[in-house]
Amino acid sequence: MLSGRQTMSNNLILLRTLLLSTSQRNIYRYCGDKKKRGKIIGGLIGASLIYAMIMAYCIMICIGYGATGMIGSAPVMCALIISLLAFLFTFFKTNGYLFNFREYDMLMSLPFEARTVAGCKFLYMYIKSLPWYLSVSLAMMIGYGYYARPSFLIYPVWVILAFFLPVIPMLIASLLGFLIARISAGFRKTNIIQTVLMMVFVIICFSLRFIIEDIFRNNKVEATLEKTSEMTSNAADIYLPAKWFADAVTKHSAAGMLLLAGTSVLLFAAVFRIVGNSYRSINSALRSHAAAKKYRMTGLKEHNVVNAMAFKEYKRLMGSTAYTVNGAMGEILAILLGLITLIIGFDRIVSVVTANAPFDHAILRPAIPLIIYFFIGMAATTAMSPSLEGKNYWIIKSLPVEMKTVYQGKMLFNMYLTMPAMAFATLCICISAGVPVIDTVLYLIMGVALCAFSTAWGCVCGVKHMRLDWENEIEVIKQGAAVAIYMLPNMFAVMGLTVMVVFLGMRMDHRLLTVIFILIATLLAVLSYLRVMTLSKRN
Amino acid sequence: MLEIRNYSKTYGEGKKAADNVSLTVESGDIYGFIGHNGAGKSTTIRAVVGVLDFTEGEIFIDGHSVKDEPVECKRVTAYIPDNPDLYENLTGMQYLNFVADVFGIGAAEREEIIRKYADMFEITDSLGDMISSYSHGMKQKVAIISALIHDPKLMVLDEPFVGLDPKAAFILKEIMREMCRNGSAIFFSTHVLDVAEKLCNKVAIIRKGSIIATGTMEEITEGHSLEEVFLGDAFREADHE
Repeated sequence: MLSGRQTMSNNLILLRTLLLSTSQRNIYRYCGDKKKRGKIIGGLIGASLIYAMIMAYCIMICIGYGATGMIGSAPVMCALIISLLAFLFTFFKTNGYLFNFREYDMLMSLPFEARTVAGCKFLYMYIKSLPWYLSVSLAMMIGYGYYARPSFLIYPVWVILAFFLPVIPMLIASLLGFLIARISAGFRKTNIIQTVLMMVFVIICFSLRFIIEDIFRNNKVEATLEKTSEMTSNAADIYLPAKWFADAVTKHSAAGMLLLAGTSVLLFAAVFRIVGNSYRSINSALRSHAAAKKYRMTGLKEHNVVNAMAFKEYKRLMGSTAYTVNGAMGEILAILLGLITLIIGFDRIVSVVTANAPFDHAILRPAIPLIIYFFIGMAATTAMSPSLEGKNYWIIKSLPVEMKTVYQGKMLFNMYLTMPAMAFATLCICISAGVPVIDTVLYLIMGVALCAFSTAWGCVCGVKHMRLDWENEIEVIKQGAAVAIYMLPNMFAVMGLTVMVVFLGMRMDHRLLTVIFILIATLLAVLSYLRVMTLSKRN
Repeated sequence: MLEIRNYSKTYGEGKKAADNVSLTVESGDIYGFIGHNGAGKSTTIRAVVGVLDFTEGEIFIDGHSVKDEPVECKRVTAYIPDNPDLYENLTGMQYLNFVADVFGIGAAEREEIIRKYADMFEITDSLGDMISSYSHGMKQKVAIISALIHDPKLMVLDEPFVGLDPKAAFILKEIMREMCRNGSAIFFSTHVLDVAEKLCNKVAIIRKGSIIATGTMEEITEGHSLEEVFLGDAFREADHE
């Protein structure tokens, strides 16, 4: 066994190297490629803009609280936002960062204890995502400070605890990821089981919001939900770390501070003792592939080149838990939304989402394709797949096909993935909402146009910001510039368009409005497609 | 130095990648591990170096159990995989420094060792470049230098000559001989039967997860070439099927 000092020293060595191995500063310093250096600076500016947007959004929340005299809820809200972000970010990254990462063999052959490797991987994940959480925390601290005028002591306490806030939700997410990996490791089709379990868990999380709202409603505690401040207090009563944080900053509670910091540290030690014990067996199972060796040559099918490329993309998606969960989650959620709407009813769903606001639900109908697109457009495989070629890029480059054919194949696969989900969800919701046939057809066409736009726009981002030198596929699936540039404007635009459709639908003929939107989406899809074709000539 | 006792590894539903493998590598041995693709060589090697979990059998390195004392085993072992996954965004020197830190090698000593082997492999000038800019062979050379940094008692190599230029392959063979003269042991897998025959004093042949022959080179070949022995076995098996 290693002594405590040796373990600490090994922790520091490994953590430092993990950070250095993905440090943009290190790449900038030692990379002679001017284009790559330019990309690093561009990425830094892009990231700074996103942090600024997050901070602006958080300050706006505080302004809202300040204007309504509820600024006292800001610390709890801050803790809840960070906890939720930390939980979700970590849960999706566990497989790829904590388990099943590329350099596993190299690290495990060095004299590290399994829990040292696992713990350092977690700390690495924590440090890399810390800027996101700090931008939320610091912005809300500024907002809170401006409106609440607290004592000066609050600021250092807030800053210190901001470093602890994400730890507990990250550990819970890691533990869940570990349990899923542990269960999956016992099955032959480890990857598939892991993907299914992760998706089931995410769907439960998404459903939880509606279930909780429904429970609160049925339990006649509606009165307590009238104010947002009381709602956040309720949440803090359930999620104690948020309460500890709020008590520490608003009531100067030393107990709150100690509980948050102490629980974080103790939970870290406990989780990584548990994870460390089965770390090698889980990774062995996740990295091993059973071979039946029973294959008998049968009649083989021919595909045209574009379809062959699309089939390759399908196999790539199914071969990676992280890719499947991130790439196909929107489609699954859209299908579920369609099914749930069909079962529960369009009006009831709208009532739950809008908290029984008094308005005619029919005005929301023109927004149906956009609502479904909100899920489907969350991710486009075309934004990730060019980068995911990684070290296999040579395969497509050495094939006697033009790059435009390769990208057409990637786009075709995304259309195969998105269109059936879009059509199914649209039909379900239209049937449930009693939408006339002609409108249903128009919504279906709009859905297809939106899928085409998502596919082609994703491909523009994916090709333009292709990154092949990743250490871990999560880097391009969840954190890649291509994905961020695809997703953020897309999501904000969809939210804006949904509001605009509802607003304009009340003032003009909604069919004409749908046709206009179909034309706009088609135009954008065509422009994006043409851009992909241009980019394909450069690669 | 290395003792594998009744090691078995099962994947999926009962398919054994390694079946009751037993062999012993003594100090001073250069032990070749040969078998066709998918025979179970890498599965065995990955278990030896503590990367792959296993439940059946025991593996001991320098008297320590790989299962129960993995860190002690790894302190005296070096592993060079067939396709080293190094940190692409570190420079060669940063990577070697990392490994030296892990093994607690002093600054002066590590500098001397790195300089010696980097000069031998003619990559000293490239150590300041990112590993992502290296060819496969250069990455292999960095992996070899990192394996030699702590003067291991046991060196385990998986297809070490793949991707190395003839000069580097020659140097590696010389290093392996030198290590064995100094009392270390080498255990390596290879498909290059000529190399195995000239380099190894002992050899084990694995087929479909089971060891079918093991012993000194003379005992295995009995006056024939290793290629004849290995291919003869393979053809006989094909005839049976």
